Amino acid sequence: MNSAIIETHALKKQFDRKSVLSGIDLSIEAGQVVGLLGTNGSGKTTFIKCLLGLLHPTSGTSAVFGETSWDLSASAKSRLGYVSQEFAMLPWMSVRSMTDYTGAFYENWDKSYVDLLIKEWNLDEKSRVGTLSVGQRQKLAVILALGHHPELLILDEPVASLDPIARRQFLKSLIEFTEEEENTILFSTHITSDLERVASHVVFLEEGTVGFNEELDELKDRVKRVRISGVQNLREKLNIPGTIRAEYHETHALLTVKEFQAPQWDSLAAEINAVITVEDLNLEEIFLELSEVSSASPQQVIA
Amino acid sequence: MTVHPHQFEVHPSSGVPIYVQIIDQVQAMVAGGILKQGDMLPSVRQMATELGVNPMTISKAYSRLEAANVVERVRGKGMQVTKLPVGGSHEERLDELAPLMGQAIVRGRQLGLSDEQILSLVRQLLKEYSS
Repeated sequence: MNSAIIETHALKKQFDRKSVLSGIDLSIEAGQVVGLLGTNGSGKTTFIKCLLGLLHPTSGTSAVFGETSWDLSASAKSRLGYVSQEFAMLPWMSVRSMTDYTGAFYENWDKSYVDLLIKEWNLDEKSRVGTLSVGQRQKLAVILALGHHPELLILDEPVASLDPIARRQFLKSLIEFTEEEENTILFSTHITSDLERVASHVVFLEEGTVGFNEELDELKDRVKRVRISGVQNLREKLNIPGTIRAEYHETHALLTVKEFQAPQWDSLAAEINAVITVEDLNLEEIFLELSEVSSASPQQVIA
Repeated sequence: MTVHPHQFEVHPSSGVPIYVQIIDQVQAMVAGGILKQGDMLPSVRQMATELGVNPMTISKAYSRLEAANVVERVRGKGMQVTKLPVGGSHEERLDELAPLMGQAIVRGRQLGLSDEQILSLVRQLLKEYSS
């Protein structure tokens, strides 16, 4: 029995001759809440579209619920909810008719749940979809994706246009969604603080490959900033493997390391007679540290 | 008696994982006598919705607390505080404090304070906090 909800192997996607995804191996299991991070143009949306069968991969495989993405059955589609960045809606419909219309496509549409969300999210069901603000349309798109109680939610920057209050309500709905233990979420976002609240795992895309994929807590445990103040000049003494970034100022040094292990630093402190303090980094800082490294790397992809 | 989720304070964007923050706070509440033997922790669901964090994060914190014998799972009731805090040996407790003191000393030196000045501040603060 394979509990992987999403599975890709060597997934590649090129547009003309430009490679956007250059070999993605990823497995997401039931119950995981996965935040997809990456700089603009790192391939997040393309990846999501390949998963959903909206784009045909150039090579490699992609499967959702064990079915090939490109040929998802109706029953597999009824088990997933998707919010895209460009939510296509019918502008002349009211919020009410839009939800009824969408509901007609699903066997297990939960009208009372949808009504509750519309109320909680302060949408007016009589408004025409065309007159809604971007943020309101985004709320509606999320409600439409939740109405049939999917087991897998795929969200492409769902909160980009939401105000802080709406974002909180959105997070609350996501948390309710995860109370069902087998429910799975994959969402891309730039708002790392939201991700820190709900994500169990973080996948970092860089230049079309998976930079890292691991539990959020483990990531925070291993990436640390270390401040060293010693007595003598430090530079030549410190050659620490796994250093992402280092700044030296005579007797002081500021390092970012990606595999922090406390005992190693304790013995170093004793050895070089220095005081070492360790700073925890939040996800945004980790993201910045890691993407600075990748953007500074020599192999730039030429489009 | 039970504690309410509002008594917990979670900072998602601090570098400290949320489950660690919750473990620390439960342990502090036990040590501080806010939670006593037999008290219940809020349910995972309550904590998750009130604090706005993933339920798995709360479960993880609770499981670690269970493994550390701070709480035990009571069927149909939830997590119950097991016993009075074990403070660890004298040395263990000192070990825990040392890094915090280390940081303060580094900052003191940066500010150009002498050892004697730092020590006298510590003494003064000890007095102030004695009440």
